[in-house]
Amino acid sequence: MKNILQFQSVTYIYHTVRGELIAAKDVTFSVGEGEFVAVIGPSGCGKTTILSLAAGLLKPSDGTIERSGTFGYMLQKDELFPWRTIEKNIYLPLEVRRQRSPQQRERAVALAEKYGLGDFLKSYPAQLSGGMRQRAALIRTLAADPDLLLLDEPFSALDYQTRLNVCEDVANIIRSEKKTALLITHDISEAISLADRILVLSARPARVLHTHTLDFGGVPPLRRRELPAFSGWFERLWGELNT
Amino acid sequence: MKHTAYSKEHARFLIKRRKNLTLVWTLRIGVLALLLGLWELVTACGWVDPFIMSSPSRIAKTIASLYADGSLFYHIGVTLWETLAGFAIAVVLGFAVALLLWWSETVRKVLEPYIVVLNALPKIALGPLIIVWFGTGSEAIVFMTVLVGIIVAILHMLSAFIATDPNKILLMRSLGAGKWQILFKLVLPSSYPALISMLKVSVGMAWIGSIMGEYIVSRAGLGYLIVYGGQVFKLDLVMSATFLLCLLAAGMYALVVLLEKILVKNAER
Ligand SMILES: Nc1ncnc2c1ncn2[C@@H]1O[C@H](COP(=O)(O)OP(=O)(O)O)[C@@H](O)[C@H]1O
Ligand SMILES: [Mg+2]
Repeated sequence: MKNILQFQSVTYIYHTVRGELIAAKDVTFSVGEGEFVAVIGPSGCGKTTILSLAAGLLKPSDGTIERSGTFGYMLQKDELFPWRTIEKNIYLPLEVRRQRSPQQRERAVALAEKYGLGDFLKSYPAQLSGGMRQRAALIRTLAADPDLLLLDEPFSALDYQTRLNVCEDVANIIRSEKKTALLITHDISEAISLADRILVLSARPARVLHTHTLDFGGVPPLRRRELPAFSGWFERLWGELNT
Repeated sequence: MKHTAYSKEHARFLIKRRKNLTLVWTLRIGVLALLLGLWELVTACGWVDPFIMSSPSRIAKTIASLYADGSLFYHIGVTLWETLAGFAIAVVLGFAVALLLWWSETVRKVLEPYIVVLNALPKIALGPLIIVWFGTGSEAIVFMTVLVGIIVAILHMLSAFIATDPNKILLMRSLGAGKWQILFKLVLPSSYPALISMLKVSVGMAWIGSIMGEYIVSRAGLGYLIVYGGQVFKLDLVMSATFLLCLLAAGMYALVVLLEKILVKNAER
């Protein structure tokens, strides 16, 4: 399996007027093509920092990061631009990258239609429910056809019911588009229901404590939650996070 | 009426609302009429000296005579031109400076104390300098108007530019956007409401600036008429010019509200 992303002994230090803060220390892991990797860790441990490093928005203080291919970043909130229609929001990555060919636009629209946004293309974000907006944000991320999706707690701003549904949604879309994904979350059950592999981080500075490969195969998130193995994983990961 | 399929309750609601609106407008006009009537009454009966208080009929006569000798629209034109020119320059220049300050944090830090001082300084203190530099013509007044308005315009826009959602900037950066793209696709569109409110505030500032300018130096305009009327004790002239100023300011305010409606509608498209 080809590696899309490879962290090798990566350390990151924030420098501020008040001093320096080690957010990640000696982090090593890789994400293979087609894999869905979840990273869990206590809040404030440095998860977002690791994702920003992966996205190239931050440069490591030490160590190396290898990337092959392009990536798309999905944030906690949908960050749709309220003055643009859903359609125009979805075109944003294409505009920024000056990819203005009709085919690329058609691909983006086709993606939106395939995943139930067809009727909302001319609507404004404010007219959509939270779940729909997050779905639109995912389609926007996919519009530029990235090789790797970076997801930073993309469901945490949603209420519980919507969250389960959107989680299911996103998992299906990512799997059927055969995308590689790196999901950051502090929600253990979310990680278990989505991932092929889970990395457990320590409290700050973040280090990789454990790596687990899950054996659910292609079972979708909501079904996973019903399986007996689910609670076994939950207890185990909960224990690892709270030691 | 386009919609006729309202429920009875909604129809009642609409009628009630319309009645209320009618009442408010009737009372508004009533208050004005009452004040003008009282004013006319007390001066006509000699309870108050019309030489000091003027009166509605004397104001009307004064305005009519200004109209007759052709100076009415001349003075209105001068003040209006100065106000609008000052407004336009202050808004455009203020917007540009705010952009520059947003673009470079270093420039922002360097200029910050100067802006703070300029903001705090009562512009009228610069009156004598302005007379020496620009003479006593319209240029001096336009300059004063710009001076009064520009700092507000700068600070208003700058705070909007800086308040751009950092997560949206992060999103743009993750897409590979450069600073120009972030400016045009994110910062400017998200500052649109601030631009509209800045225009509203700036109209008010422009009136303050132009009348203040005319108070200090001028040979024409409504502010000049007020000062001149005060000096020669022609209170009718003072009141007339003040009344015209009220009309103009109200008219301009209405225009700005109209403009706001058009701009907001455009933004929603
Ligand atoms: N720009 C920054 N400057 C200084 N410290 C930061 C910055 N961003 C985050 N931190 C600190 O780094 C630590 C890790 O932050 P983050 O990666 O956002 O954690 P998480 O996403 O796991 O909650 C936190 O203690 C946070 O306060
Ligand atoms: Mg975070």
